[in-house]
Amino acid sequence: MNMSCEQIGELLPDFLQGDLSSSKKGIVEAHLAECANCRDEVAVWQKLALLPMEQPSAESRLRFAAMLHAYQEGRSDRGKAHFELDRVEREPRRVGSPWSFWQWLRTPVGVVAWSAALLLIGLLAGNFYAGRTPHAPASGNQEQIAQMEEELRSTRQLVVLSMLQQQSASERLQGVSYSQREQQLDPQVRVALLHTLRFDGSVDVRLAALDALSKHAAQPQVRTGVLDALQEQQSPLVQVALIDQLVEWRDREAAQQLKNFEQQPNLNPTVKQRAEWAVSKLN
Amino acid sequence: MLQVRDGAGETLGVLFDRYQTPLYNFYAKLTGDRTLSEDLVQEVFLRILKYSRSYQPGTPFRAWIYQIARNARVDHYRKTPKHISLEPEMAPPVKPKDEAQESQEAEMLHRALMQMPEEKREILILSRFQELKYEEIARLLGCELGTVKTRIHRAIQELRHVFRQMESGAAAGAAAPAMPPRRVGS
Repeated sequence: MNMSCEQIGELLPDFLQGDLSSSKKGIVEAHLAECANCRDEVAVWQKLALLPMEQPSAESRLRFAAMLHAYQEGRSDRGKAHFELDRVEREPRRVGSPWSFWQWLRTPVGVVAWSAALLLIGLLAGNFYAGRTPHAPASGNQEQIAQMEEELRSTRQLVVLSMLQQQSASERLQGVSYSQREQQLDPQVRVALLHTLRFDGSVDVRLAALDALSKHAAQPQVRTGVLDALQEQQSPLVQVALIDQLVEWRDREAAQQLKNFEQQPNLNPTVKQRAEWAVSKLN
Repeated sequence: MLQVRDGAGETLGVLFDRYQTPLYNFYAKLTGDRTLSEDLVQEVFLRILKYSRSYQPGTPFRAWIYQIARNARVDHYRKTPKHISLEPEMAPPVKPKDEAQESQEAEMLHRALMQMPEEKREILILSRFQELKYEEIARLLGCELGTVKTRIHRAIQELRHVFRQMESGAAAGAAAPAMPPRRVGS
């Protein structure tokens, strides 16, 4: 089938991302074989790979720490925050350094810099506690702490939710492990973890999500969610872990559903055995 | 209080480690200015700290963070009007020593990109370098998926045009580097 360049142009963006069905891909490839102009468009797009991923300077991470500090200090004193940011910005910058921040941290200079930064933070905090900061009256303190705690909670939630969306399994694992830092299970995080438990492509991530959820059996949604996840689970490893969890929770309501579950055809023998054992335990 | 403060820092640090390089590259390729790019990355994280509650769980996080990034840049230019330079400020950093031709091509591509209208440059960068799906770009730019694809195709056509023109210019008179035309306004 012959298509005009215009028609091919509509398919080209998906072609470049590898998102076309094989029949459409064939049409585009056939056109490209004959049309030098369209072929050149693809060539230029591919050439963009010559432009590399650049690394920000090593100071970027330090500026970030300083920015955080200035922001938190600055809530009671805006002018000072800007001053500190300005000062940081005027520091000389090592341009294009290939060092990663962590490597830099291990060097003696890095250690000294960090120690100094921590000392500074400590001193400022000490000052604050001693009530010597003129712009932070004691009455505002409680409110400020509450505000900070709320901010921390909301930032953690953001980190968990964003990390669970990452493409790499190790980053998703990091997201799961972050979710465990909060004593309370936030409803949004719970939804995200249960989604991970059911649909994540990696067995490790699913198991980690189960582990994170296991501490929140008091929430009925967690128990139902885990039970639901068992019905859809394909991996025997995760199935067994889910069954064990239900036994650990002594979830009597789960017994009936486990009974139905063990009747499923094509169930892995080990899983079936485990389910039988679980039913006997729970009854 | 210190504990809460360190907690927020450490937590946001996870996001910083994950996104500072992609965001920096987004800005660097868009503006051609490394210093400004680092400043804007800091601004993005400051805004994340301030507005973390505005993220709606269940929506793509990347689209949200790039929305913040775009706004930060727009606000920056609102405060500090863009100065238009004839030459791009940033030389491309690649210099594969054994591949002189590649290095030359990379430089030319960089200049061609910088010469394109900003919206086209931006959509090329978002789709080619920022790991964003077209759906996410559509969400980010507030337009239809089909519109995103059309715009990407037009941007590729223009980039090809500018790049090939530069290339033939360079081949014709190797001594005189091609001068980008002056852009009026921004």
